[in-house]
Amino acid sequence: MIMHVAEAGEQRGRVVLHITSGHPNPVALEAAVRIAQAFHSEIESLFVEDLQLYDMASYPFAREISLTGSRSRALSRDAIERDLRLAGRALCRRVEALAHEAKVPLRTRVVRDDPVQALAKACAEDGPWNVVALADVLAPGQGTRLSELFANVAGYTGLMLVGPKARRTRGPVVAVIESLDHLPPMLRAAERMASVTGGVVMAMLLSDNAHDAQHLEEQTRLALGDQAKVLLLRCQIDQGAPAALAEAIRRLHGGFLIAHFGGILVPAHGDLRDLVAALECPLFLMR
Amino acid sequence: MAFWKSQPSKSDKPEEGKATATQAATAAGLSTAPSHTPLAIAELRRAVDPATLGFKTTSELEPARGLIGQDRALKAIQFGADMASHDFNIFVLGPAASGKTTAVRQHLERKLKDLPIPPDWVYVNNFETPNRPRALKLPPGRARALVKGMIAAIDELRNTLPTMFEGEDYQTRRRAIDEEFRSGQEQAFEGLNAKANSQNITILRTPNGFAMAPMHEGKIVKPEVFNTLPETMRKQIEQRIEALQKELAEIIEKLPKTDKQRRAKLSELNEEIAALAVHEALDDLAASFSDQPEVLSYLDAVGRDLIRNVGIFLAPAGEENEIVKQPADTARDPRFRRYMVNSMVSHNGDDPPAAPLVEELNPNYGNLIGRVEHIAQMGALVTDFLLIKPGALHKANGGYLMIDARKLLMSPFAWEALKRTIKSREIRIEQPSEMSGMMSTQSLDPEPIPFESKVFLLGDRELYYMLAQADPDFSRFFKVQADFDDSIARSTENDQAYARLIASIVMEHKLKPLDAAAVSRIIEEGARLASDREKLSIEIGRIADLVREADYWAAQAGRDVTTRADVAQAIDESIQRSDRLRDRAQETIERQIVLVDTTGAKVGQINGLAVLQLGDFAFGRPSRITARVRMGSGRVTDIEREAKLGGALHTKGVMILWGYLAGRYALDVPLALAATLVFEQSYGGVDGDSASSTELYALLSALSNVPIKQSYAVTGSVNQWGEVQAIGGVNEKIEGFFDVCKARGLTGDQGVLVPRANVQHLMLREDVVEAVKSGKFAVHAVDTIDQGIEILTGIKAGTRGDDGEFEAGSINRKVEEKLRAFAERGRAFSRRSEAGGNDSAPASDNGKPFT
Repeated sequence: MIMHVAEAGEQRGRVVLHITSGHPNPVALEAAVRIAQAFHSEIESLFVEDLQLYDMASYPFAREISLTGSRSRALSRDAIERDLRLAGRALCRRVEALAHEAKVPLRTRVVRDDPVQALAKACAEDGPWNVVALADVLAPGQGTRLSELFANVAGYTGLMLVGPKARRTRGPVVAVIESLDHLPPMLRAAERMASVTGGVVMAMLLSDNAHDAQHLEEQTRLALGDQAKVLLLRCQIDQGAPAALAEAIRRLHGGFLIAHFGGILVPAHGDLRDLVAALECPLFLMR
Repeated sequence: MAFWKSQPSKSDKPEEGKATATQAATAAGLSTAPSHTPLAIAELRRAVDPATLGFKTTSELEPARGLIGQDRALKAIQFGADMASHDFNIFVLGPAASGKTTAVRQHLERKLKDLPIPPDWVYVNNFETPNRPRALKLPPGRARALVKGMIAAIDELRNTLPTMFEGEDYQTRRRAIDEEFRSGQEQAFEGLNAKANSQNITILRTPNGFAMAPMHEGKIVKPEVFNTLPETMRKQIEQRIEALQKELAEIIEKLPKTDKQRRAKLSELNEEIAALAVHEALDDLAASFSDQPEVLSYLDAVGRDLIRNVGIFLAPAGEENEIVKQPADTARDPRFRRYMVNSMVSHNGDDPPAAPLVEELNPNYGNLIGRVEHIAQMGALVTDFLLIKPGALHKANGGYLMIDARKLLMSPFAWEALKRTIKSREIRIEQPSEMSGMMSTQSLDPEPIPFESKVFLLGDRELYYMLAQADPDFSRFFKVQADFDDSIARSTENDQAYARLIASIVMEHKLKPLDAAAVSRIIEEGARLASDREKLSIEIGRIADLVREADYWAAQAGRDVTTRADVAQAIDESIQRSDRLRDRAQETIERQIVLVDTTGAKVGQINGLAVLQLGDFAFGRPSRITARVRMGSGRVTDIEREAKLGGALHTKGVMILWGYLAGRYALDVPLALAATLVFEQSYGGVDGDSASSTELYALLSALSNVPIKQSYAVTGSVNQWGEVQAIGGVNEKIEGFFDVCKARGLTGDQGVLVPRANVQHLMLREDVVEAVKSGKFAVHAVDTIDQGIEILTGIKAGTRGDDGEFEAGSINRKVEEKLRAFAERGRAFSRRSEAGGNDSAPASDNGKPFT
């Protein structure tokens, strides 16, 4: 949605906020609202009650270890159902409050399904200009979950996710430009995001060798013309060093990082573990 | 209103004499008095010959520096200022507008350069006890350096600390710590996860925790499938899950402890990094104050606090621009207030640096002692050490402080606070509400600052004596009195000094120069203000007013030099602006509402003279005094006293009359006299004894039945020997009667009797002197009652001969005969009463029979 809406100058689209646990990341929730705000789109909050939890609770020996580890209790289908219902309601209220404050239209939906399947269905129902916002922190050990998601879900144009260090959405919007093809739509998306994050737009020109970097910069400067509001940053990274880029963005106090899925920074089949672990802001991945 | 209608009837009037006193005397066989010469023109006003001043205009004169004729006061100031003891403070007393404030200021300004420059004082945060700010003493002029130094250090830290904490070194080490603990956790989790997966068990996140279930190909095994497994296998899986759950619980339980260790390691790292920046930032400042142990101790405390609270430098302030990193003003940033320095007293702004001389014009408690201000924040009043404001005592510390005593005493708590400061020799800022225990809001208790200053209180004499009497502390702490005189002796030298004083006023106010005649007129007015021809008033304020007003009138007349005419006009205009009541009083006499005769002669009636003071303006007014006599038991009834309109001094004067009458005329017979004395048409009270001679003349006239010339007015007090004594306001009194006579037409017979002792005070208006010169008015100076009665009646007063009798045909003889007659008749009445037991025998005024 992001690139296409921004490119087309259209004022529609949808943010699907995918929530699969009772403990979503607050920065992720806020980031979802900011995106909706920037593109004048609505949010669909999709709280998925994982069917596997019901299966697990059906076991007579099923027990739950509390978050502090100090106590455990026997689980039942009724208990897990009640817990999920309560968690869903609380989350709905939380998202409603955020959306209300940001004056963003909101739809809430609670489904009982496999989380990936539920998301795939939601995107398929009203696609393709959706952006999926993952409300749960993508922990470094959850790379497989992301791969599964990319493989199984269609009908979305972008994905927003946060890492365990995510702490802000305010600040400069850093768009990582790897090719001239992506320059105009990514800058327009970044400008829209910057209008709600209170920061400026920084175009980080990323290449893996000096020649490409020089060429990219020249072409970008030509394309930008007199757009003085965009700050250009040149960055050359070796293959497999996204953490260094994350550190550079951290120093810029970036509020959002916009990157292209399938490029140098985020290879189509690469591991996001290092990048996500270091980022202090949400990451937008454009398809 | 009834007062004005109560005119006496004809029948009540005393015996009138249409003819002159001389004619009456001849007719009655009385002896004519010898002629008495009135005062000469020169005695009425001491004029200054401009030629004797020795200049043409004041521009030729060197202006006087300071005051003239105040040597005693200036010596006292010098003494008080030089005395090192803290309790030798100075009370400067003198009349208003005497120039004492200017004189003290000028004198002290000259002394300031001899004093050492006092230290600077600052208040800084007390990091141990924040509500008790520390007072730091600094060498003069270095407070500002500390203030600026601290701002610069914090500014530097605002830049360096975030940089250092974002720097590679810190981040790497922090990451290492994080990773060390996170990887520990992750390894534990991942290890457990791998272990579970290897046993075909999955760990799932529930809304409230974690749970485990058997897994097959990444998915939870459905319970119905699980139930189809052999029981031994099911048991086995259950046992594995149970074991894994225990492991999970152990891992989770360790998390808080591990996190605490991580935080502790991070704190150590933070302090280590912060210490580098903090020491770097404070080192320069510490080096520049290496000779000040207290400052170094303070900087140590600052350093410790900065390291402890480095987080405030890393959290962005709301107003800070995150991109350009333009910091908000550090001094105004609430996060850094506790590191700022409050400069209470600083001496590097002076040019050249000198000890302070402070004149506090509004010496209320806060302005004097200083105050702790509060600001409203979310409905609460809050404060800190930066809101401590210095008072006059802080500013004057090490120098001199001048305070108007009256204003000080009128300000609640201020006098007590000043005494407390002088006594304890330290300035302790306490809010008045705290002192009275009324305030419950938490405030500050700043460390006191030592106080070493000389305090000069300025006030009038009444205030000084009132304080001396009412407050025992006053004499303990203000041991030196500098008494400013209000006049100086008149001499040629002082006349010339006076001229230089006028020249200094001209220079100070940038006025036109005065010619010699104008200066001579001002000198004459100076004598008039002093009410003494032998003195000159040194009420600088009034003289300066006169010079400035004369300058105005000179400008109106288009003159470049102020002349005598301008000075005279300034005096006249000044009087005219304030003499409305005098005109009203004059009018009531002219319209016969207030009865005052200025021609003819009457028995028992005389014109007395009173002075009314209205603000700065005083004027004389004649009033009629009458006396009536009859046989009685020897009592003079003062009607003013009986009506409670007479003051104590007036009553005393009347009692003296009685002593005079008894002692002179009734040595061997009882004084069988009853007399009444009254100020006619007086409704506002009478005090003072200046009319006692006048009343005595009226009594003598009534007793001798000899009329008094109404063309005279009289003033002067009298003693028991008949000597006429000096009174006050002699000029105004003479001029008051002169104005009445002039309004009715001067006859040439009119004049005033004044005590001879008052001749030295005469500085009469020029028009009065002119009238005397042309023989239309006269001023007589008298030493005794006998002289006065002769002038007033034209009849000889008479002296006792060898036979013990007064001369025949004299006033005194007639008085004595009347008193003897009263005594005889009184004795006859008494005898008749004793013989016949007649109850109708007349009783004396006190109810007892005559003896």
